[in-house]
Amino acid sequence: MKKRLLCLVGIVFAAACFTGCQQKDPEPGDVAGYDEGEEYLSIWVHSIEDTEEGQAYKESVESFNEAYDGQYFADIEFVPRNDSGGGYSDKVNASVMAGGLPDVLTVDGPNISAYAANGIIQPLADLTEEEESEYLPSIIEQGTVNDDLYALGVMESSVGFYYNKDIIEEAGIEIPDADDPWTWSEFLNILEELKPLMDEKDGYPLDMTFPVGETSIYYFAPFVWSGGGELVSEDGLTVDGYFNSDQTAAAMEFFRTVVEEEYMSEAPIDHLFESGRAAFKFDGAWEVNTVYTSYPDINLGVAPYVVSDDWDGGTYTPTGSWAFAASSETEDIDAATELVKWMSGVDSGIRIWNMTKNFPSTYKAFENIDVFQTDENYKALYDQLSNYGHPRPKTPVYPQVSTSFQEVLESVALSGKDVHEELDKAVERIDSKLERYTRE
Amino acid sequence: MKKKNSIMGMAFFGPALVLLTIFLFLPMLLTFGFSFTDYFALNPELTHFVGLENYINIFKDDLFVQSFINTVKFVIIIVPLQCGGALLLALAINKAAHCKKYFKVAFFVPVVMSLAVVSTLWMQIYSPEGILNTLLANFGIDAQPFIHSADQALPSIAIMSVWQGVGYQMIIFLGGLQNINPALYEAAEMDHASAWQKFKDITLPELKPLCIFVFITVTIGAFRMLVQPMVMTGGGPDHSTYTIVYDIYETGTVNWEMGLASTMAIVFTVFVVILTIIQNVLTKDKEGRKHVNKKAKAN
Repeated sequence: MKKRLLCLVGIVFAAACFTGCQQKDPEPGDVAGYDEGEEYLSIWVHSIEDTEEGQAYKESVESFNEAYDGQYFADIEFVPRNDSGGGYSDKVNASVMAGGLPDVLTVDGPNISAYAANGIIQPLADLTEEEESEYLPSIIEQGTVNDDLYALGVMESSVGFYYNKDIIEEAGIEIPDADDPWTWSEFLNILEELKPLMDEKDGYPLDMTFPVGETSIYYFAPFVWSGGGELVSEDGLTVDGYFNSDQTAAAMEFFRTVVEEEYMSEAPIDHLFESGRAAFKFDGAWEVNTVYTSYPDINLGVAPYVVSDDWDGGTYTPTGSWAFAASSETEDIDAATELVKWMSGVDSGIRIWNMTKNFPSTYKAFENIDVFQTDENYKALYDQLSNYGHPRPKTPVYPQVSTSFQEVLESVALSGKDVHEELDKAVERIDSKLERYTRE
Repeated sequence: MKKKNSIMGMAFFGPALVLLTIFLFLPMLLTFGFSFTDYFALNPELTHFVGLENYINIFKDDLFVQSFINTVKFVIIIVPLQCGGALLLALAINKAAHCKKYFKVAFFVPVVMSLAVVSTLWMQIYSPEGILNTLLANFGIDAQPFIHSADQALPSIAIMSVWQGVGYQMIIFLGGLQNINPALYEAAEMDHASAWQKFKDITLPELKPLCIFVFITVTIGAFRMLVQPMVMTGGGPDHSTYTIVYDIYETGTVNWEMGLASTMAIVFTVFVVILTIIQNVLTKDKEGRKHVNKKAKAN
C-alpha cells in the first residue's frame, strides 16, 4: 500500500517537473492589469528587470498597456543573458523545440536572418510608408530579409573614430569633413607623422585591438564595405567570391601594415586612449559618455570613419543592435506588429536613450534629444549613422561569419599569415555551415 | 523490518533517482541519440538521421583536432603541477610551526572564488603593463605578451588554473597527512631514517590511495577546461587555447549545431573514460607489485 503511495508521489512529482515547462496563456485577471475583453500578448526581452535597460522596456510595455487599454494586454518577461547572448538564446532554442515562444521577442540584429530562415520569427504586418520612414534606414535594412520586414529595433548603435584634440593639435593635423574622410593611404601617412610624438608619450598613434567576439566584425567590417566589398552575397547564401574577395584581403592587409609599423600595440594595453597615450581610437558610441564622465581631461573629438582608397561614397559605417520581432507562434500578427511598433517607437527610443544612453532608432527621437543638436561629438555620430550606416552581413550562418572574420583578422594582422590562404580556409568553414540552407 | 527498511530506502533514494533521471541520465541518452543526427537547434523539425557522418566529420575538422591537442597540452601541464604542488603545500603546512591556519586559508581562498573572477584578475596580472611585467622589468627582463601570444597563452592559463585549483587538493592531502599514524614516524626515527627516507617509505605509501584520487580528479577537471580561456583569450590567439569543451559549446549554442556538438561530447566522454580506466589499472598494478615486493622483503 505504502509502496503504491510512494510510486504515486513519484509520478506526480515527475509530472509536475514536466508540466512546469509548458506555458499557457493566463486567463484575464490572472495578471494584474489583464482585463476581460483584452487580447493577451506575451513579450520576452533579453535583459534583467533590475537594469536600466530592463526598466526602460518595462515602462514601454506599461505605456503600451495604457494606450491600448481594453484592446491589448502585453505581459513582459525578463530573460537574463550572459555577454555572448547565452542564457537568452538557450531559452529561445528550448522553446523552438518544446513550444511556448512568446508573441513578440527580442532578436540581436545579426541573428534576424537565421531566425527568419528557420521560421522562428515571421514577417510583420505591413507598415505604412510614413511609419517606415520614421526609422533610420539602417534599422529597416537590418530587419529586412528577402524583402520582408521582420524586426524593428528601439536601439541603434554606432562606432566612433575618436581622436584626442590636444594631440592632433600638437601634431598640427587637420581633421577632414564628414563627407571627405581620410583614405587608408592618407591615414597611414598621418600615423607615420604621429609615431615619433606618440613614442615620446610612451604610447601609440592608434589604440586598437582585434578582440574575440562580435566586436571585431562590428568595428572593422566597414574597411571591407568602404572598398566596395561585401562579406556575403545578397541572399546570404554564398561567401566564396565575397568573404575571400580582393577587397577583404586589402582590408586585412591594411591592418597588417598598421601592426607591422607599430602604429598600434600588438598586445592590448588598457585605457591607452583615455590616459592620453593614443591619438586615435575606434570604440562604441558609449565611449563619448565614458570620456565625458570618467576622463574629463581628455579633449575628445569624432573624426569620420576611415575609408578605402576606392571608396565611392556609399554606406559603410557600423550599425546594429537588438530588435523586436513577432514570433512564428503568434496568432495575431497585427496585434504583435502593433506591440513591435510601440516598443521600437519614438517614445520608447527617447526612454532608452535617457535610461541607458543607447542611441534611439527613429529620426524624431534624435530630434527630441537635445544632446544630438548641441554636442558636436554626439551630432557627428548621429550624422555618420543616418548618412553612412551599413548593416552587418545578413546570412543565416552569421555566427560563423563573425567568428571567421575575427580569426582571419588575428592570424593575418597579428600572426602575419598569408591573407588569401586564411580567407579561403574561412570560406570553406562557412560553406560547410551553409550546406544546410543550400542543399535543397 | 526488512521491508520497512527498503521502503524507507526508496523514500530517500526516490527523489534523487527521479531528478538524476530527468537531468542526467535522460540528457545523456538524448546526447547519444543526437550524435547520429544533424539536429539543428533553430529548426528541430528538419532533423535527419545521418549515421556516422558526424563522427567522420569531426575528425576531419582541423579545429576539433586542434582543440583536442590543446586540451591534452593543458592536462600535461596542469596534472603534474597541481598534484605535486598540492602535495608540497600540504607537507609544508603540516610542518609549519606558526600561522598554520593563515596559510591554509590563504591557499584555499582561490578555490572558493568564482573562476570568472579569478580569470579577470589574472588578465590584469598578465596584461602588458600589469603586475607581472612590472616585476619582470625590475629584473631587467623584457615585457612578455603572456595571454596575447600564441606561444605563451596556453602555459599562462595553465599556471593560473593550477594556482586556482591547488588549494582544494592541498586540503585533501593535509587530511591524509594528519591521518598517518605518528608511531610509524617514531619507529623510523629510532632506526635513524633520514627525512627523505621517511617521506619515501612512510608518507608516500600511506598517501597512495589519496594520490590516485587526486590524480584522477585533477585529470578530469583539466580536461573540462572552459571558463579560463573563454574569459581570458576567447580561445585565441590563433586558437592556441581553444579547448574541446569550448568547441562543444560554440558548436552547440553559438552555431546551433546540436547534432555535431553531441558527437563531440560523446567522443570526448569516451576518451576521458578510457583514460580514467587506464589510469586506474596502471596505478592499481603498481600497488599490487609493491605488496609483492614487501612480502618478498619480509620473507
